Amino acid sequence: MPDPLNTRLKHLIVTTLKLEDVTPAELADDEPLIGSGLNLDSIDALELVVTLEKEFGIKIGSSEESRQALASIAHLAEFIRARADPARLPA
Amino acid sequence: MPLASAVRLEATGCVTPLGNAPSTHAALLRNEVALRPAPVLGADGGEPVPMALVAGRSFDETAPPNWLPPLQSLQAELAGEGWGTARRPVFVTSSNFGVGSLYAYRRHGDAAHLAYGTPSTCVDWLAGQLGWGANVTTLSHACVSAHLGLLLATRVLQAGFADRALVFSFDFISPFVAGGFHALKILNSGFPSPYAERASGSIGLGDGAAYAVLSVDRGDFVLEAQSLYNEMHHFTSNRADGAGFAACLAPLSAAARGRRLWLKGHGTGTLEAGRLESTALCTAFPDTPLVGWKGSLGHTLGSCGLVELALACEAMRQGRAPGTVGGASPSFQANVALDPLSLEQTDGVVCASNAFGGAHAAFLLAHA
Repeated sequence: MPDPLNTRLKHLIVTTLKLEDVTPAELADDEPLIGSGLNLDSIDALELVVTLEKEFGIKIGSSEESRQALASIAHLAEFIRARADPARLPA
Repeated sequence: MPLASAVRLEATGCVTPLGNAPSTHAALLRNEVALRPAPVLGADGGEPVPMALVAGRSFDETAPPNWLPPLQSLQAELAGEGWGTARRPVFVTSSNFGVGSLYAYRRHGDAAHLAYGTPSTCVDWLAGQLGWGANVTTLSHACVSAHLGLLLATRVLQAGFADRALVFSFDFISPFVAGGFHALKILNSGFPSPYAERASGSIGLGDGAAYAVLSVDRGDFVLEAQSLYNEMHHFTSNRADGAGFAACLAPLSAAARGRRLWLKGHGTGTLEAGRLESTALCTAFPDTPLVGWKGSLGHTLGSCGLVELALACEAMRQGRAPGTVGGASPSFQANVALDPLSLEQTDGVVCASNAFGGAHAAFLLAHA
């Protein structure tokens, strides 16, 4: 059964970045987000980080932390779980 | 862009949070750090981030802008009158002008802010305040803006279109500007440590304004060569192989052959750009000491090239250059100098700036 947080993140990525040629279901958990795979750039990362901070009430402190968190959807989920109030995570 | 040939500097000056050029130079030699933690959005709060304001100025916008008095002080240093007339053009450079005023208008609804919110309205107003005529050119190219002004002023002089040219640059930080860098996460709670190899990077932001009077044949300093190069790679990032940095420096390396140099780098405190820049500088100019001053002053954005030119001139007058204030070991390159340098054995400096969009700029400054 898919991880609900991973599923939620895939949906947020597609909608926030207005990706037209990919659906949430097509994104793999280990899909690289920056540099290869989805190949997001720093402006994409900015938009995504703002959305994630609002959605989960977390704070990403530096561009290096942002880059590490966005390494893949699985990395991102792990990062959010370690920092977010569990009540804000999808059940 | 091809090298421009030599032009003299008749006068230079700057204002920073540490004072005018002599005061700032002296404070940097003492390793003073002007940056202080302050809420990123000013009165609206937010994370404390390193920022440095000119003395007496508040961070939040006012109408008219509270950065006019320091610019008037700077203007008072300028010898001669008639700036902005046919033979004495002014090149105004900035990356932000009064853009913070637009954010102030959005927050407060006070239409008075709109008079300063765009480059043209801002410079028109400023020209009136500083007594300039109509021959004023406004230029903006992110953090290499000042270098662009220097190059265009040089070409106007060399074409015989002017007797002297004034390059004038200013950037005063505001919640709008700080908020943008904070959203990118390159402005955060950490203090900048230029060229230091560490886990997280951070810049600081600082107020800065400066001027340079250029002439064909008068002045104690000479801009021997200038170079601009734009990678056209991306809005914010550079090519990962550093090729853009190297391409900008290559013609200066040739022009500087035989000279005993020191290097004044851009050195904002970000990791990726700091590594690429220092590697390119140290490859083009091996065994040459490299310093950067934004660990104290913060990044003065589009004005940084002119602020740091004024400080480099002061260093060459005094025979001592400040080290990389705020830097730390290990650095990306062994020739990053953390302590002040004696310039007795040198006869020139390469000053470099880099900007969003993969824009790179540098010049070779020497005694005339």
